[in-house]
Amino acid sequence: MTDVTPTHVTPPGAPVDFGMNAEAATGPSLSYWQLVRKRFRRNRYGMAGLIMSITIVLTALFAGFIAPYAVDTKDRAAIYSPPQTIRIFAEDGSLTAPFVLGFEEVMDPNTFEITFAPSFEKAVKLELFTHGPAYEFMGMEFTTHLFGGQDGAFVHLLGTDGLGRDVFSRMVYGARITLLMGFMVMGLACVIGTLVGVTSGYFGGRTDTIIQRVIEFVKSFPDLPLYLALVAVLPRNADPITTFIMFAGILVLLQWANLARELRGKVIAIRSVEFVRSAVAVGASDKRIILRHIIPNMSSHIIVWATYVLPEVILLESFLSFLGVGIQQPLVSWGVMLNAVRDFQSLAAAPWLLAPVGMIVLSVLAFNALGDGMRDAMDPYAND
Amino acid sequence: MQWTLTPMTNPLLSVENVAVSFRTAVGTTEAVKNVSYAVNKGETLAVVGESGSGKSVTARAIMGMLATNAIVGGDTRIIFDGDDLSTWSELELQRIRGKRISMIFQEPLTSLNPIYKIGEQVGEIIRVHRDISKADLKAEVIRLLTEVQLPDPERRYSQYPHEMSGGQRQRVMIAMALANNPDLLIADEPTTALDVTVQAEILSLIKMLQQKHNMAVILITHDLTVVSRVSDNVVVMRRGEVVERGGTSEVFQNPQHPYTKHLIASEPKGLPDPLDPHAPPVMEGKDVCVTFRLKSGGFFNPKTVDLKAVDHVSALVRKGETLGVVGESGSGKTTFAMSLIRLGVFQSGEITFQGDRIDRLSRKQLQPYRTRMQVVFQDPFSSLNPRMIIRQILEEGLIVNGNGSAKDRDRIIRQALDDVQMPHSALDRFPHEFSGGQRQRLAIARAIALEPEFILLDEPTSALDLSIQAQIIELLRDLRRKHGLSYMFISHDLKVVQALCHNVIVMQHGKVMEAGPTDQVLTNPSTDYTRRLVDAAFKVVA
Repeated sequence: MTDVTPTHVTPPGAPVDFGMNAEAATGPSLSYWQLVRKRFRRNRYGMAGLIMSITIVLTALFAGFIAPYAVDTKDRAAIYSPPQTIRIFAEDGSLTAPFVLGFEEVMDPNTFEITFAPSFEKAVKLELFTHGPAYEFMGMEFTTHLFGGQDGAFVHLLGTDGLGRDVFSRMVYGARITLLMGFMVMGLACVIGTLVGVTSGYFGGRTDTIIQRVIEFVKSFPDLPLYLALVAVLPRNADPITTFIMFAGILVLLQWANLARELRGKVIAIRSVEFVRSAVAVGASDKRIILRHIIPNMSSHIIVWATYVLPEVILLESFLSFLGVGIQQPLVSWGVMLNAVRDFQSLAAAPWLLAPVGMIVLSVLAFNALGDGMRDAMDPYAND
Repeated sequence: MQWTLTPMTNPLLSVENVAVSFRTAVGTTEAVKNVSYAVNKGETLAVVGESGSGKSVTARAIMGMLATNAIVGGDTRIIFDGDDLSTWSELELQRIRGKRISMIFQEPLTSLNPIYKIGEQVGEIIRVHRDISKADLKAEVIRLLTEVQLPDPERRYSQYPHEMSGGQRQRVMIAMALANNPDLLIADEPTTALDVTVQAEILSLIKMLQQKHNMAVILITHDLTVVSRVSDNVVVMRRGEVVERGGTSEVFQNPQHPYTKHLIASEPKGLPDPLDPHAPPVMEGKDVCVTFRLKSGGFFNPKTVDLKAVDHVSALVRKGETLGVVGESGSGKTTFAMSLIRLGVFQSGEITFQGDRIDRLSRKQLQPYRTRMQVVFQDPFSSLNPRMIIRQILEEGLIVNGNGSAKDRDRIIRQALDDVQMPHSALDRFPHEFSGGQRQRLAIARAIALEPEFILLDEPTSALDLSIQAQIIELLRDLRRKHGLSYMFISHDLKVVQALCHNVIVMQHGKVMEAGPTDQVLTNPSTDYTRRLVDAAFKVVA
């Protein structure tokens, strides 16, 4: 740019400003979301969280394929059987195809305690893509499983519970209910929280006052008694699905208020920003301003909030189901599985029943890492 | 060193080959490349350049106060009084920051901590660097507050920042900067956030203190008036490089680099086109009042105080006329104008727009008038929705008013882009890809796409760099001629008002102090307040 005529007559199409940032104007046109993606990819912790989260979600989706058995498949020969390790060395030390060892039940003649001793005589070879119990996926029935024992022999990688059910299979299926609960609560709380929060912040005045008092009322509920009350209210023989929905409903009730309150403050700030006032000046309606101007500018906040609320719901679900007031049998969630080890005896006898704790910790860490990464990537003030 | 400003062997500070780049999501951007300058004791060096030219980054590099994503070039030397600061550790730098080198920032409203008293904040700076008894400390702080000519320093000592005006806070900032008798004072746009009349006072204070303490001052600014008033030497920066340097008067009288010439030539000039005195009125406001009710008193003894933000203000804009509304911040000029176009609070008075009374209309009833009166806001960075592309932004008004088919809309917005001299390729880009000046052009394009008759311009140039200001003013003049537009132009800068407005009203505390043709008001102000505004804008005081 060499023309510096102070009168400034630039033909349309020519670069105009001296203040123009050369890179910004000629570089590739990156939208906000493209920038976010770019910034997110540089965050290793966030990326690890993303990959882990995707893996967990895929596990839940393809639970039927990944789990070798159904939720209620019972191996009557293995009650409280300990986890089996995958081995690749035969008894003589030579390398073979992967196999697991079956157990010899040995009764201590003095204490009558039954212990399990691995025995090479009962070795079971592992196979990929075996046939097993039928499961439904997208309306079709399949019998192929990712892995299993040769000739339909049972394999329990994480042991079995008191009814001889495979802990690993149940844990994989449990991810379904736990995540379904998480996503359902997250989604509903987001929709309600956004609607209420934006309404409250945008319209202000009396609407705002009433909504804020309602939010305070909701937030002042002691939550634990509320969950316990749910158990008292529901009939003993209530359908587990009904309990599940009621339970989700209560979680939503307690979660949306947080988002609504956070958004209200942000909306109050943004509604007096000049681009919103410009929209009023060209005659845009409230509906258009909310949908086209306010909500798109709230989206990053809502998404980050959602990724933080998901692990919170997972924790709450497992905690309450562990107490026996959340999800009810025969539905299987991680919390329900933990419910089996609520006394010291069963914990001492079968510590492997705690396996779902590992999944809970892993998924909470993964979704939190994802949320942290998203928060950093979406921060409009960060420029590094 | 291949240049010398003054034939002195050892300047107090010389920065050599400063290079700074920043890591960002889209790659590394070079903010400063190879910048060198020097300043002697008792001398003021002005560093001039537009936003993004790297002038503040260079100053922060001197203090070792760059952001964490900054990368400093390997050849960078910062020689301060014989020592190379670029090799010093953070701990060593802390010892001279605030003691031998101090800094004043642009924003006096946020650079003071709101929860500490003024006396504590100034005292802390002294205590960090000196051993001093409590009584002596207080005396020293009060002496400093007196030195920066803060009225009633004893009482100020125990006041909090929110109890003071912007100019007073900037004085406190200066007192803090002077607390330890620094050798070098770096003032980063010290007057930009202040009202014009206050600007002049702060500048002469800095100048006076510099002479008294024989300090070296680096004054960073984009305002050439400031430069010509106080500096001895000047360095002109553009896009991270020094394009010109020399004595201030030489550079102003005989600029060498085309960019410097452009900067100097971009002071707003010219006069508005003559106006037909019998043109029909477009917008008229009579006795407009806006009162804000402030709550005061305790819970059991509630009181309300009425603040008359706009007190019986009247204004008339004829077809093709530009009416200037002038005043300091808080004078009610924006509140008045916003209530005229019914975008802000309106309480009483008569508003007539093209013969129709619009003061009692509801938002729905106002809808048909919206396309005919438009507004351009002060801050181009917040007036465009960051999540929309330019096409959506420009189209919005046409869509909500149901103007034409998609094809017609496309034609209209392309025409509007031509009018504001922006390329059509802008349509599919996002606002953040444009500079401040370009964004303001886009905001103007959004307003004229609706083919309005009246545009309210709310300080459209005050957030922009000087040379871009001049371009925007030229653009507004062109558009007025082309479309026969009427403007109401809100400003605190009388230079711009002189170049653009036929008539002017001067406001203070919600009241009209003076009104009349621009040249008459500016050459022969009848009130003291107007005279002060005029002096601040046009008089070159040392």
